[in-house]
Amino acid sequence: MKRLKLLGILLLGSFLVAVGFSSRGLAAQAEKVITIAQYADAISLDPQDTNDNASYSIEKPMIEGLIGFNERMEQIPQLAEKWDASPDARVYTFYLRKGVKFHDGTPFNAAAVKSNFDRVRNPDNKLKRYTLYKIISQIDVINDSTVRFTLSEPFGAMIATFAHPAGGISSPAAVEKYGKDYGKNPVGTGPYKFVEWVPNDHITMVKNPDYWDKNTAAKVDKIIVKPVPEDGTRIAMLQKGDAQFINPVPYIQAEVVKGDRNLSLASTEAVYTWWVALNVHKKPFNDLRVRQAMNYAINKEAIIKAVLRGQGKLADSPLAPRVWGYTPVKTYPYDPAKAKALLAEAGYANGFKALLRGVAQTDAKEIMVAIQGQLKQVGVDVEILSLPSATLTAERFQPLAENNGEMDFAGWSPSTGDADWGIRPLLTKDNWPPSNFTIGFYTNPKLEELVKAALQTSDGAKRKAAYAEAQRIIMDDCPWIFLWVNNLLGGTRANVGGISLQPDAIGFYRSVYYK
Amino acid sequence: MTRYIIRRLLYMTPILFGVSIVIFLILHLVPGDPARLVAGPDATLEDVKIIRSSLGLDRPLPVQYLSWLGNLLRGDLGRSARTHRSVTHELQLTVPATAELTLSAIAIAVLLGAGAGTIAAVRRNSVFDYTSMMVALLGVCTPSFWLGLMLMLVFAVKLDLLPTTGRDGLDHLVLPAVTLGVGAAAIIARVTRSSMLEVLGTDYIRTAHAKGLSAQAVVLRHAVKNAFIPVITVIGLEFGYLLAGAVVTETVFAYPGVGWLLVEAIGFRDYPVIQGALLLFALQFALVNLVVDVLYAFFDPRISYG
Repeated sequence: MKRLKLLGILLLGSFLVAVGFSSRGLAAQAEKVITIAQYADAISLDPQDTNDNASYSIEKPMIEGLIGFNERMEQIPQLAEKWDASPDARVYTFYLRKGVKFHDGTPFNAAAVKSNFDRVRNPDNKLKRYTLYKIISQIDVINDSTVRFTLSEPFGAMIATFAHPAGGISSPAAVEKYGKDYGKNPVGTGPYKFVEWVPNDHITMVKNPDYWDKNTAAKVDKIIVKPVPEDGTRIAMLQKGDAQFINPVPYIQAEVVKGDRNLSLASTEAVYTWWVALNVHKKPFNDLRVRQAMNYAINKEAIIKAVLRGQGKLADSPLAPRVWGYTPVKTYPYDPAKAKALLAEAGYANGFKALLRGVAQTDAKEIMVAIQGQLKQVGVDVEILSLPSATLTAERFQPLAENNGEMDFAGWSPSTGDADWGIRPLLTKDNWPPSNFTIGFYTNPKLEELVKAALQTSDGAKRKAAYAEAQRIIMDDCPWIFLWVNNLLGGTRANVGGISLQPDAIGFYRSVYYK
Repeated sequence: MTRYIIRRLLYMTPILFGVSIVIFLILHLVPGDPARLVAGPDATLEDVKIIRSSLGLDRPLPVQYLSWLGNLLRGDLGRSARTHRSVTHELQLTVPATAELTLSAIAIAVLLGAGAGTIAAVRRNSVFDYTSMMVALLGVCTPSFWLGLMLMLVFAVKLDLLPTTGRDGLDHLVLPAVTLGVGAAAIIARVTRSSMLEVLGTDYIRTAHAKGLSAQAVVLRHAVKNAFIPVITVIGLEFGYLLAGAVVTETVFAYPGVGWLLVEAIGFRDYPVIQGALLLFALQFALVNLVVDVLYAFFDPRISYG
């Protein structure tokens, strides 16, 4: 009996110890607090060492760039009031906003800008965004509020590269002070200031009372971002009011949010296009007629309706409409008879077998199953290979000789919002795996020329003309099965506004307010 | 006994050493390039190369292993490839949370499971027996991510009694601990019941009844002690599985523990974090086994370790 009592005490003890580990946070006061549940924690809060949307979503209310994006991803002046580019797209001059201070009191000026970009373009710092800015060969401080960048070669998409979230300007004093740990202690000029980061628990930021623009200053006192990986859990938090915004809402839950009058759905047309890359070096995809047939054989509208719950529209270009330089070209209507005829003409009247790879996630799997079913109708026998993202990435980045890829379901958003980054990495020879994401190993001499020419000038009209021609070539050549441009869904409580997802899937949190 | 425990602790060293080699080899055999994953989807080959060398992944495998082992012996588990935080620090942040969760879950599992199993055995073929064993069967079969979400919808969203997620006080612990503990409770209940039934049918229990002891005294003083040897074994095993279960439960409840850390690390092939967390799991498993063996002697004085 004594031993049993002892066991009881042990058990009770372990429970109490467990309870002891818990610590209760401060109760919410009468301040205006917004809690956001997003799908993942930040990895780093140093914009120059960030390449994931979860981190950028949290950085952006705190750290601003020379040029920013509004919620529609249009470029707007932020820390630079204006800028100009030399016609040969090699020299870029920025005229900076005066009187701005970083959260730590350090003045924002030309020297601060120079120090930021000197840091990222130095390979010894091993920052993830090094290659984005390594093209800068010289930075000159003209005066306290003017800074000039000279590139080692012409690069017409440079303004968009400055608007990229990696172009966020940090306090040089803070970078110096925290060194390697700067990514855990971000200091910028934004409407919100960093307070604390408890990994996998929360990141807190508070209103910056000294923000330089009264019109776009913080409208709540505090934003808390919590990482919540499970879709159903985020919905539950929103329904209960434990979160005022969730990022994202999965398509399958869109109706749940729509149907609840306490909640509303924040839908944004993305800069993502989704497609199936066809390996143009493998039979039968080396035959244009087969690639055309594949485009005619897929009923895109039906998949958008069934899987995306209507949250998308047909892709009529390799670029999404909100990408700078987009031109609508055409769509391939659903026409299985024409697909069959084309296959017969190419000598595949009896169809063929092919492997379709994609990531092992619910939406992607449903889409691949739908594609499989539709291709079956024209005699193509598709085998689906769903892989976890780490494995899939490893497989896709194999060089041509070792790459098993035949059909690859994927999507892409150009994080600069510019046509260059929506075409070059995906459809040019220099970017074949293992180098970058031209996973169908496509190339076309005319396209390569146009893409290069568009980078030789800073003249917007000339660049647009080149990209328009490039988009037409791609649509005719069918290196992909062109699918759709999707909407990105966030969910808000009905009494909250000013918050959504940007078209590049980065959260737009800085304007959030209570109605 | 002390010498036994010390000896067992020493035996753990070669076990953990073996485990570390197995983890290391399996990790490097699984496809996936940490440098590419850390570099991000639109990184150029040059970015990937810079990151690969900064992670030390361009060195031969044996060199990588030995350098990791050397650091381990100095108490340094390395830095996360993804967040650059030291693995020791990551574990310091997450281990208390997971300890709190698994200890609460095992406490719930033992109280519920052993209690229900004992009563079910004593009241054999009663309504309680049938319902509790039915519930136990359901408990074993219910996937924890589903159960977790259902509990959250009912108790947090509909009834508004408990918070949905996070770790901020006892109320935040209830749903994840119950979710995690239910499966273990069910197994413990079934094992307790069958073990108790066996003991209750023995001669010495009849003798105890015959000499006029109260039913309560017979069960608690005489039956439970002997019936508990197999139960302790199962509790020990279940405690080990709870660590694995915590991976799912923590993710569902956004509970900042080692399980969630591990899932994320695996997604990014973050070798240092995976190695550190798995080594810790192995250590915990070994320690729990030791505790179970010591408890045997405690419940059955005939068992002794020289």
